Amino acid sequence: MTTALAARPAPTTVRKAGLVRRVSGLRHTSPGRLQLLIALLVGFGLLSGLLAGVAGASARAGTSDLGNRAQPLLVEAETIYSALADADTTAAQAFLAGGLEPTALTRRYDADLERATTALTSAARRTPEDGRAAEAVRNLSAGVAQYSALVATARANNRQGLPIGASYLSEASRLNRDTLQPQARELFEGAQDEVEDGYSSAGALGWVALLLLSLVVLLITLIVTQRYLSRRTQRTFNVPLLAATGLTLVFTVGAIGILAVQQARLDRAANQGSGPMASIAQSRLLTLQARGDEALTLAARAGSGPYELDFSSVEARLNQRGGPMVNEYDQLDYQLGRTMDRASKQFQQYATIHDDVRALDDSGQYDKAVALAIGPETTKVFEDLRGDLDSALENRKEFFTAEIDRAGSGLGLLTVLGPLLAVAICVFAFAGLRARLEEYR
Amino acid sequence: MRIRAALAVTALAATTALTACSGDTSPLASATAMPQQNAVTAAPPAERPPAPACNPRASLRPAGALPTPGDMPAGSYMATIQKRGRLVLGTSQDTLLFSSRNPFTGQIEGFDVDMGRQIAEAIFGDATKIQIKVIGYDKRVSSAADGSVDIVADTMTANCDRWRDVNFSSIYYEAGQKVLVSKTSTAKSIDDLGGKKVCSAAGSTSFENIGKRPTKPIAVAKPAFGDCLVAFQRNEVDGISTDDTILAGMAAQDPYAKVIGQKFTDEPYAIAMSKAHPEFARFVNAVLERNRADGTWKKTYERWLGDFGTAPAPPTAQYDK
Repeated sequence: MTTALAARPAPTTVRKAGLVRRVSGLRHTSPGRLQLLIALLVGFGLLSGLLAGVAGASARAGTSDLGNRAQPLLVEAETIYSALADADTTAAQAFLAGGLEPTALTRRYDADLERATTALTSAARRTPEDGRAAEAVRNLSAGVAQYSALVATARANNRQGLPIGASYLSEASRLNRDTLQPQARELFEGAQDEVEDGYSSAGALGWVALLLLSLVVLLITLIVTQRYLSRRTQRTFNVPLLAATGLTLVFTVGAIGILAVQQARLDRAANQGSGPMASIAQSRLLTLQARGDEALTLAARAGSGPYELDFSSVEARLNQRGGPMVNEYDQLDYQLGRTMDRASKQFQQYATIHDDVRALDDSGQYDKAVALAIGPETTKVFEDLRGDLDSALENRKEFFTAEIDRAGSGLGLLTVLGPLLAVAICVFAFAGLRARLEEYR
Repeated sequence: MRIRAALAVTALAATTALTACSGDTSPLASATAMPQQNAVTAAPPAERPPAPACNPRASLRPAGALPTPGDMPAGSYMATIQKRGRLVLGTSQDTLLFSSRNPFTGQIEGFDVDMGRQIAEAIFGDATKIQIKVIGYDKRVSSAADGSVDIVADTMTANCDRWRDVNFSSIYYEAGQKVLVSKTSTAKSIDDLGGKKVCSAAGSTSFENIGKRPTKPIAVAKPAFGDCLVAFQRNEVDGISTDDTILAGMAAQDPYAKVIGQKFTDEPYAIAMSKAHPEFARFVNAVLERNRADGTWKKTYERWLGDFGTAPAPPTAQYDK
C-alpha cells in the first residue's frame, strides 16, 4: 500500500482526500481491517516508546536541575544573605569593643566575606544570564567589593585613632543593610521561585500524562484486536499478541511505578527537605538580624530606638508557635527536633540577656551594657544557637540531597527500557497480525 | 503536608517582616552612628513664619549663688536630675574636638562633653554622673524641647528661630562658618565653589547657610559631619562647610584637606534645654559664669583647642530675662 501511495504524485489536497478514502475503504474488507489494526498498534507502540523516552529524560533533567542547580542556588543565596548580615553585625561589635578590633571578630568578619564571595561566584554559575537572580548577583558582586573597601578604610582609620573610622563603618553598614541585604533577599526569593519551578519541571507532568494516555490506548487496542481475532478465527489466543499485551502491562505498571516513586520522593524532598530548610534558614537570618539590631542600637548610642523595635518583632516571630523556629520539627526527624528545640531555648536565653543589656543601657550604664553584649557569656550562648541552626540546616540539606538522588534513580531505566519495550511490543503485535494477514494472500 | 504548609506560611510571613523592618527604620533614624539613613540632598525646612528679631546671645540671668553639689533645691529640675542619679547629655559622636568617640577607649569626649560634665559636677559633685545620648543634628532642638535629654551641647548655634522652642544658656563658644576643600583646590573661599557640591549635616544652620551664598554652591546633606568627611574622601562632594572648629577637627584627620577663607557667619554656641524649666537654665548659666571666672573654661579650651593657639577670653555672658 505504501508503494501505491508513493506512486501517486497528486496535489496534497487530492492525495489527502485519496488517503482518507483509501483508509476508510480498508475497514470494509478483513485484510484491510487487519492492516488498520497493525498500523494502530505499531503507531501507539512507537508513540508510547517515544513518550517514555521523552518523559523519562525530561523528568530526569528536571530532577537533576533541581538537585544540582536550583536547590544549591537557594542554599548559596541563603549563605550570601546570612554572611552579609553576620559581617555587618561583626563589624558593629568590633566597633563597640573599642581600641584595636578583637582578633576573633576580625577573623569572623574575614570568614563571612569569604563565604559571601565564594557563594556569590558559584551562584553566578547557577543563574541564567538574564532574570532577577542574575541582576541581583551582578549588583551583589559590585556591592561586596565596595563594602569590603569601606570596612578596610574604617579599620585603617581606626588604627590611627581617627574618629572618621566610625563614619566609614556606618557608611559600610548602610550599604550592607540598605543595598546588599535587599539584593541578597532578592536572590534568595528568586532561588525559591526556581526551586518551585524545579519541582514542577522535575514532575514533567505533561509528558507523563501523555505517556500514560498512550499506554492505555495501546492496551485497549490490543484487547480489542484480540477479541476481534478470537471471534473471526478459531484460535482463542494469539500468542504474539498476548505477549505484546503482557509487555504493555509490564511497561504500564513499570512506568507508573517508577514515576510514582519519583513523585513520592519529590514530595518528600519538598515537604520534608526544601520546606523546613527554608524555615530553618529564615530562623538563622532572623537570629542574626536580632544580634545585629542589638549591636547597632548600642553603636548608635541613642538609647532604645528603631533597631530595638525591630529586635522585639524578630523575637516575637522566633518565639511564635508554628513559626520558623518553634515548629513540629520532631515529626520530621527526632534529631532535628531536638536540635531545633535546643536552638529555641538558647534563643530565649539570649533574649533574656538582651533584656539585661537594654536595661543597663537605658539606665545610663552604657559601658556595662556593651561589656555584657559582646562579653564571653553572651557570645557563647549566641554561638551555640548559631551552631545548632547550622547543623539543623545541614540535617535537612542531607535529607534533601538523598531524596533527590533516589528520585532520579529509576528515571534512567524508564528512558532506556521504555523505548526498547515499545519496540518489542510493536514486533510482537506485528508478528501476531502478520500471520493472520498472510492467510488472505 | 501539614508541617510543610505551616512552615511555608511562616517563612513567607518572616520574609514580609524582613522587608517591613528595613523600611520601617529609615524615617525614624534618630540615631547618628549607624542609622539606615541615606544621604538626603535637601532637608525640608519647617514651614513657619520667620522668628521675630531677638538677641540670640542673651539668656536667663543666674539666680544668686550655686547650690551645694548634691543638695539641689527641692522642686527644681536639678533636684529631679539629682534624684535620677545622672544628667542626660545629648550630643554627637563624630565631631572631633567637640564630641567624638575616642577610637582607643570607646569614650565620647571633647569640648561639648566637658561642658556637660561640668554641669554634672555642679549637680552631683561628680562629673562622671552623666549619660551620653547620641542624637542626630536634626533632632537637637526637639530632643531638648521634649525633655528626652536634659541638655544638648552639640556645637549648637543659638538663634532666634530655635529660641522659640528651647532655652539656651549663655554663649560658651564663638564659632563661625568656613569651608574645607582639597589641598589641590584653587578656591579661596566658599564663593569660589559655585555649582560645586558642598556637604553639611542635615538640620544644621551651616547647611542652610550654604544655599544662601550668592554663587550658589550645591548643598548636600548627610546625617552627620563624619559622613560628610567620608563623602569628601570618596570624592562625592567637593567641599564641606560648617563651623571652623568642626572643620579643624576634620582637617586634623585628613592631611589632604585644608580650611579656606574667613568666617562668613557668626555661630555662637550655647547649651539647649527645655523651656519647661527656666530655673535649670539659670542654674546652667551660673555654672558657666563660675567657670569663666575661675579659669575652668580656659583649661577646657586649652585641652581640646589648644593646638589652634592660646585661649581667647571666654565669650561674655549676656542676659535679658
